[in-house]
Amino acid sequence: MNLQIFVNALVNAALIAPPAMAFSLLFGVLKFPNFAIGGYITLGAFAAYTFNVPLGLPLPLATLGAMLFTGFVVWLAHVWVFKPMQDQSAVTLLVVSIALTLILESVVRLFFSADVRGFDIPLERPWKFWGARITREQVEIIACAVVLATGLHVLLRHTRIGRAMRAVADNPMLAAIRGVDAAKITALTTVLCGAIFGLTGVFAGLDLVIEPLVGWNLTIPIFAAAILGGIGSPYGAILGALLLGLAEELTILVLPSTYKIAVGFVIIAIFLLLRPQGLFGTAEIKK
Amino acid sequence: MTEAILSVAGLRSGYGRTVICDDISLQVSAGQITCIIGPNGAGKSTLLKTIAGVVSAIDGSIRVAGVEMAGLPAARVAGSGMAYVPQEANVFRALTTHENLAMGGWQDEGRTQAARDRVYDMFPDLQPLARVPAGNLSGGQRQMVAFGMALMLEPQVLLLDEPSAGLSPLMVGEMFETVRRVNAEGVAILMVEQNALQGLKTAHEGIVMAAGRIAMQGAASELLNSADVSELYLGSRI
Ligand SMILES: Nc1ncnc2c1ncn2[C@@H]1O[C@H](COP(=O)(O)OP(=O)(O)OP(=O)(O)O)[C@@H](O)[C@H]1O
Ligand SMILES: [Mg+2]
Repeated sequence: MNLQIFVNALVNAALIAPPAMAFSLLFGVLKFPNFAIGGYITLGAFAAYTFNVPLGLPLPLATLGAMLFTGFVVWLAHVWVFKPMQDQSAVTLLVVSIALTLILESVVRLFFSADVRGFDIPLERPWKFWGARITREQVEIIACAVVLATGLHVLLRHTRIGRAMRAVADNPMLAAIRGVDAAKITALTTVLCGAIFGLTGVFAGLDLVIEPLVGWNLTIPIFAAAILGGIGSPYGAILGALLLGLAEELTILVLPSTYKIAVGFVIIAIFLLLRPQGLFGTAEIKK
Repeated sequence: MTEAILSVAGLRSGYGRTVICDDISLQVSAGQITCIIGPNGAGKSTLLKTIAGVVSAIDGSIRVAGVEMAGLPAARVAGSGMAYVPQEANVFRALTTHENLAMGGWQDEGRTQAARDRVYDMFPDLQPLARVPAGNLSGGQRQMVAFGMALMLEPQVLLLDEPSAGLSPLMVGEMFETVRRVNAEGVAILMVEQNALQGLKTAHEGIVMAAGRIAMQGAASELLNSADVSELYLGSRI
């Protein structure tokens, strides 16, 4: 078997897994699939680009800035858009979230045009091993994804705030009865997820290109990974991302690469129809 | 009569503009069990929710150990010495038993370790289930987790909404035994029960609710012997 397939699948998974976890977490507290993530990711990519290229900050610092920025934007979107509409149906909120993505994309296009851009980083030859190639940025993406997933695990399982996040996602009424300020915990969750989407924007800019559609193009794979792993189950999302990455790469072996995006669609369709709780989850997306 | 730990006066509440409970006045004395019975839809759950701050009071007063609670949201009522166990969804299904208990101690994390040991002492059956998600537990076990969680902050009064609902007949007896045990530790209890006979037998005081108001109130033994109560609520069960 070709090792390159696994390398590509791994890079893909590293790109998709963190936002899929965030998507799942967000679904847990807000109870609707938030398709604004495309807009958030694009915003993250362009924020980091702005810090990095026009302002000349080193990329790690620009990344941090982008994460703070998207964290803030996602919180703002929660307070201004989704919270006032929280009594609406999940479908309504989903449509609103798609609209929000279109708006954010348009704003980015207004300021940056649709040109393709890249970060200010030195070009390096990819490393080669056993016939497979991997770039330095790809290794960094994988390392960051592993650190992030581990960090999220520790946060959710072993800290007071993380436990409260899971409790609020599980049963907000009971959480309030036990004295948890559910609104505060929800706000914190949105900031955390926003920061992860910002980071994904940077990853996407490194591995793909920076353009207004970068976030939208990742939305379907992220949603597919989250569905595959069981929506509302952040751990399932990691495995979902790995499986999706592998499925996409295997598809390219037999079909032209333009069909890669279809893999996500097919997985979403199959799972929503046959197993809406995903491979591991318990929550279901209502049709 | 001993000092009242929970004192409700002229309470009115409901959902939106619909008033469900009206003119509710009751007292729960320290260390006593009070049982509320009444037909479906009488507003029993709504009353407990209002006392716990989940449904906001429109009018009236709710005092816990003399401190006014009416108008406070549930999260603020939580640390007041009163703990509420809802009728449904009263555990965090995705969290383990251990984590559920930790959530019970949310407002005083420093005490969690000791409080949890105390709860495990009280419900030894929970100890081996510490790492099991509450969603995977049986109805009786879940009810124990819910009790344990509510006892974490050592409340002086416990509000229980139909603790025996959905349990097997064997478990129902055990549940009332547990209620007595918790009460024996000095915790006053205000509970709603469909199982009027067992509920009143367990309680010191009884309240009959109908159409959102208190229809009858008195010593549990008196209610048990009252012709009206037997006919309406105990008839089929004796
Ligand atoms: N969330 C709600 N919104 C609007 N109305 C409600 C809500 N919950 C309950 N009600 C209404 O309030 C009334 C009293 O309900 P409540 O649950 O308090 O009764 P109950 O005495 O606990 O009944 P049961 O014995 O069935 O538990 C009912 O008419 C019910 O339809
Ligand atoms: Mg009820």
